[in-house]
Amino acid sequence: MAAQPRVRYTGSATGNMLRDSALALVPETLDHYVELGRALWQDGPLRPAEIEVARLRNAQRVNCVFCRSARYDIAVADGLSEERVDMIGDAYMDSDLSDREKLIVAFTDYFLLDPAGMPQEFRECLQRSFSGEELAHLSLAVAYFSGFSRCAVALGGMPDELPRMQISIPE
Amino acid sequence: MTVTEAIDPLCGPHGLRTVRETFARLYDALYSQQHLPREVVELCRLRLAQLHGGADEGTGQTITIDAERRAALSGWPSDERFSSGEKACLGFAEVYAMDAGALTDDQAEAVRAEYGDAGLVTLIEALGVLDGLRRVSLLWSDVHLRERD
Repeated sequence: MAAQPRVRYTGSATGNMLRDSALALVPETLDHYVELGRALWQDGPLRPAEIEVARLRNAQRVNCVFCRSARYDIAVADGLSEERVDMIGDAYMDSDLSDREKLIVAFTDYFLLDPAGMPQEFRECLQRSFSGEELAHLSLAVAYFSGFSRCAVALGGMPDELPRMQISIPE
Repeated sequence: MTVTEAIDPLCGPHGLRTVRETFARLYDALYSQQHLPREVVELCRLRLAQLHGGADEGTGQTITIDAERRAALSGWPSDERFSSGEKACLGFAEVYAMDAGALTDDQAEAVRAEYGDAGLVTLIEALGVLDGLRRVSLLWSDVHLRERD
């Protein structure tokens, strides 16, 4: 991972993590990113805690230090405790995560590691547990989080570790 | 592959309306921004499709890569039909698709030298959206809505 930022941007200091980042160099897309993030958290059928499970699994796999350290306050309020976050590891199948949460973790892994190889049996299992709209929501949420965390990694300059921090949906 | 095409098999043309519409606006903005030529965005989309496999679908955007360059795309590193800027972006895209953590400073600098800081950020944003939608389409490529009935 790049130790130094790969883009020269002095940034603003509004307190909005997106608007203060190098993404502000592309104003044509910035508002759409903010809008999409808000829509994914607030306008789909999945609960915030479930969305956060997918986001954190993606963060682990992509190894985005910032994403791994962040906790969305809306998900914490929805019941995703640190005890449950600790279950989103490689031993998740033997943990006390709910069946839906375990499926979300497995789906996120397929998205990231083998999107063309998701077995039909697993697909049917997803379709028994989630509505079509929930699966569409989950798919686009993981796509968004995957792009966002890869963006952070590709831009470089993240420290090796960050303390855990609670954040809000950027406006 | 547009966002609509990616999720219609799951939830039909009216499902997840707000999310799909905001995603579509972001997608359109990536093809209309002024920092990276839209042809470069499209070349990266086509290359990601090749790397991920599966059928190549149109973008829903009015951008066409000529047939000769499309056919030669997999051999871009040694093909003079691709500019230095296009090669920098395609090389970046290939590594991005596998592991964003494996990207080197030299690869990023090659893009930045051609298209500036804003161009590099635009490329990274575009790859995130294009790669993400490609993965969604692969996950659900043969799902038909009637299977859910």
